[in-house]
Amino acid sequence: MKAEPNSSRADFIEVDHFNFHYGPKQALFDVHMQIPENRVTAFIGPSGCGKSTLLRNLNRMNDLIDGVHHEGDIRIGGRSLYDPTVEVISLRKRVGMVFQKYNPFAKSIYENVIFSLRVAGRSKKSELDETVERALRASALWDEVKDRLHDSAFGLSGGQQQRLCIARAIANQPEILLMDEPCAALDPLATLRIEELILELKSQFTIVIVTHNMEQATRCSDRTAFLYMGRLIEYGETMQIFENPKHAETEAYITGRFS
Amino acid sequence: MNSAGPPNSPDPKRFQVSKATLWFDRLMGVGIRFGGIGVILAVFGIFFFIGREVLPLFGSAEVERAGDVSAETRPAVLGIDEWGELPFFYDGTDRVVFVPVAGGERVEIPLTGLEGAEVTAVSYDAVHRRVALGLSDGRVGSFVVEYERNYEEGSNEELIPKLVEEPWFPVTTGEGPVTQVSYGDSGGARVIAVKRGEGEVSKAAILRLGMKKSLIGKGKLSLTGETDVTGELGAEAKILRASANGEMVLIAKSNGEVAYFLADSDGVSKRQTFMPFDGAVPVQLDFLFGGVSIILTGPGGAQEQWSLFRLDEKAERLFGETKVFPALGEGPVTFAASQRNRTFLTGAGKNLSLRHSTSGVVRWEGEADFVPAAVVIDGKGRHFLAASAEGEAKRFAIDDHHPEAGWNAFFGKVWYEGGPEPVYQWQSTGGTDDFEPKLSLMPLIFGSLKGTLYAMMFSVPIALLAALFSAAFLPPDVKRVLKPTMEIMSSLPSVVLGFLAGLWLAPILESRVPSVLMMILALPTTALVVGYGWARLPIALRNRLGGGREWMLVVPFLVVAGMIGWALGPVIESWFFIYQDPATGKQIADFKMWWPQATGSSFEQRNSMVLGFMMGFAVIPVIFTIAEDALSNVPKSLTAAASALGATRWQVVWTVMLPVASSGIFSALMIGFGRAVGETMIMVMATGNTPVTEWNLFNGMRTLSANIAVELPEAPVGSTHYRTLFLGAVVLFAMTFVMNTIAELLRQRLREKNKLV
Repeated sequence: MKAEPNSSRADFIEVDHFNFHYGPKQALFDVHMQIPENRVTAFIGPSGCGKSTLLRNLNRMNDLIDGVHHEGDIRIGGRSLYDPTVEVISLRKRVGMVFQKYNPFAKSIYENVIFSLRVAGRSKKSELDETVERALRASALWDEVKDRLHDSAFGLSGGQQQRLCIARAIANQPEILLMDEPCAALDPLATLRIEELILELKSQFTIVIVTHNMEQATRCSDRTAFLYMGRLIEYGETMQIFENPKHAETEAYITGRFS
Repeated sequence: MNSAGPPNSPDPKRFQVSKATLWFDRLMGVGIRFGGIGVILAVFGIFFFIGREVLPLFGSAEVERAGDVSAETRPAVLGIDEWGELPFFYDGTDRVVFVPVAGGERVEIPLTGLEGAEVTAVSYDAVHRRVALGLSDGRVGSFVVEYERNYEEGSNEELIPKLVEEPWFPVTTGEGPVTQVSYGDSGGARVIAVKRGEGEVSKAAILRLGMKKSLIGKGKLSLTGETDVTGELGAEAKILRASANGEMVLIAKSNGEVAYFLADSDGVSKRQTFMPFDGAVPVQLDFLFGGVSIILTGPGGAQEQWSLFRLDEKAERLFGETKVFPALGEGPVTFAASQRNRTFLTGAGKNLSLRHSTSGVVRWEGEADFVPAAVVIDGKGRHFLAASAEGEAKRFAIDDHHPEAGWNAFFGKVWYEGGPEPVYQWQSTGGTDDFEPKLSLMPLIFGSLKGTLYAMMFSVPIALLAALFSAAFLPPDVKRVLKPTMEIMSSLPSVVLGFLAGLWLAPILESRVPSVLMMILALPTTALVVGYGWARLPIALRNRLGGGREWMLVVPFLVVAGMIGWALGPVIESWFFIYQDPATGKQIADFKMWWPQATGSSFEQRNSMVLGFMMGFAVIPVIFTIAEDALSNVPKSLTAAASALGATRWQVVWTVMLPVASSGIFSALMIGFGRAVGETMIMVMATGNTPVTEWNLFNGMRTLSANIAVELPEAPVGSTHYRTLFLGAVVLFAMTFVMNTIAELLRQRLREKNKLV
């Protein structure tokens, strides 16, 4: 199931005529799109448009909610997420996730980073140490925390905690990194750091990011999808979407006429 | 009131809060403050009330002067009535002098049967108010002082004394005047210990009198036997004492030994000889209230208590030293026993002290103005009288309501009468007036801990696992049914649970212990095996069947396993739990009989196992509800993060939910503990209420709470028993308070450690 290196498949993630329901309420209508490998893809759209729902379906986090069901299919690397032989746990190891509100565990920085290794039963000290340094360097946090790895994660600032969550998500080297408004709870400076980080990480991971911030989408994404009322309205290269939107709703949204 | 102006008007009133709102706000503020202060006051009120009930238990006796009496006659015998109003002095002549304490005329009543002989020996039995007499001509006899209250109008309800003389009997043993005499009275018979003569030639004998009952009138006393015990003693008798009930005679000898004779209808037999003071002759020997213990004083005032007890079940009842009291000091020793409880008044020289034999403590110490020749305590134990040799007496009022109480009585081992060693024992009431209350709270504290332990042993694993399962694994629609069901369970009245436990569950479990053991073994094993099997199933099948509904698959297995376990019980019983009848050698497969034979502990129908099950119904819902809330309140962001990092559901629970919810789970355990410690009705009805002190699963216990519920209705208000029950409540409160405080400190630490942001 490993992705072949150095090949950027354009149809790495395939969302195939996907409908999604929270009980009687339908949240996604016939979403059909392909997300390329090793690119940053941004989902934008007004609140309640379904962008987070779509994102959370990419690692089946929505399964945890009661009474959900779907039609259509989502495939990663050509394999359906809903194949009966798919073990959700291993799927989530392939598809890491960073949440809107930073949510480190009540553990040390070190233990937070290696959480995914711990639950996978890996406990070799050298491997863990190496992973911590690699993940923290990748998330640009190493220099700030290397002297206090065993302090509580709650001692960090908000931006640092979010970067710790990114380090935690990438520690086990997933293929895909889902980010659900990762900068919503951060100040502009911390946001900038995260955005720089996203650009650095995209060489290693396929990143899907949900954002409310148009500028952020233009700054860090390669492709942008605009969702509105549960439907995928427009999807294309970021430059094209923002400079030359084909749909009136897209234009209305990105020019700030509604939100 | 038009306080809000029209909209958009420049009237500044529209920024004002309406007066009604302000008033309501103020009213609520006052009301809430009032309520809060009220609660605090109520709590302190409870403390005050309980404290007021309990504190007198730890006070000592108070003794006050209460009048003088002058009889101007030597008190060879000093006696007194029930209420301490009309003492009598008898100086060994042919008259008894009664002097009212309140002032008034002295009354002299003559004795008729002396026939010119001289009284050479007297003794007093305060139980029957009998003065025993020995005469110079070798006869023995006695008279009883009776008081009658005159309720006729204008009589001031004064007491009228009367002497009832009993027939005289000549002693045939020995020669010369009677030098010692002591009467015992069992109602139908008398036992008289007599010494004739002095020195080496003196003789000692025990006379037995029987009463021939006629259909009408009183019976007639006649001599049924006289036993010369001089030879058996082997030394001169110094003090002779017959017990008030006429069963025993104790004789202190010149070689320092004390001989114990048992007198019954068959005759007199020596049972024991013991040496209390290493060869020194006792100067005083008297029975205490109840006639089971004696107080002995040796030279130098060393005072000891000896009691009758069996060393083991088959042995004879013999005297053994049970307590040593503080020495009295030098001087002539006085002694008087209370007729109410095990208090006695004793002293040497001018000193006097009130002592209590159960607790073994000195309740009061004081000094008289003179060296008392005789002392006596009235029938109610409210006054005592000390008389000088000249017949000047001082009356004292005793204020000592709880002589048998004290730290040692409640929390220490006490050597009670009749027992072979000091024990912790609770037995607050008995069938007779001379019963010795046993007020150790230790068996009750033990019972509370035992009951709580067994209840928690059963409830905690089930409640916590159920809470975990419900919070982390169960689909929400099932959870919506489960939680209210559990909460309804907690609202079951405990008296119903106790009733079910005692009358329904206990008889069933009594004969099916092996079945229960098998079920305890079978159910978790089956769950584990099914779980293992589930994990081996192909993932496709698991995905199809799973989704939080795996429990439905387990349930049929559990039901079957439970049934198999239940049915297997008798089989296991017939293999392992075989009772061999010691008499016939017959072998019976019966756990109930096997357990006592194999372990030596008892098997009761209402036992800790029954209690554990039923307490489960009371404790499980409490722990479950709170623990479930704590687990469910773990922020979704954390569980989602853990899930997104590839943690299994169990790993999410173990690594994220449990640490965060630990303080809440801890609270749940503590509240469950509080419920178990304080639970009363189930304990009363399901445990048999025997205050035992063993951890045996198959017998019961008596808890502090059950003890209060059972005994408070029959405890007289203000009595030691009543106050001791309140002390039990204080101990119960202290136990839960200490536990909760420790738990709260631990909980705070847990919370600090796992706090979120």
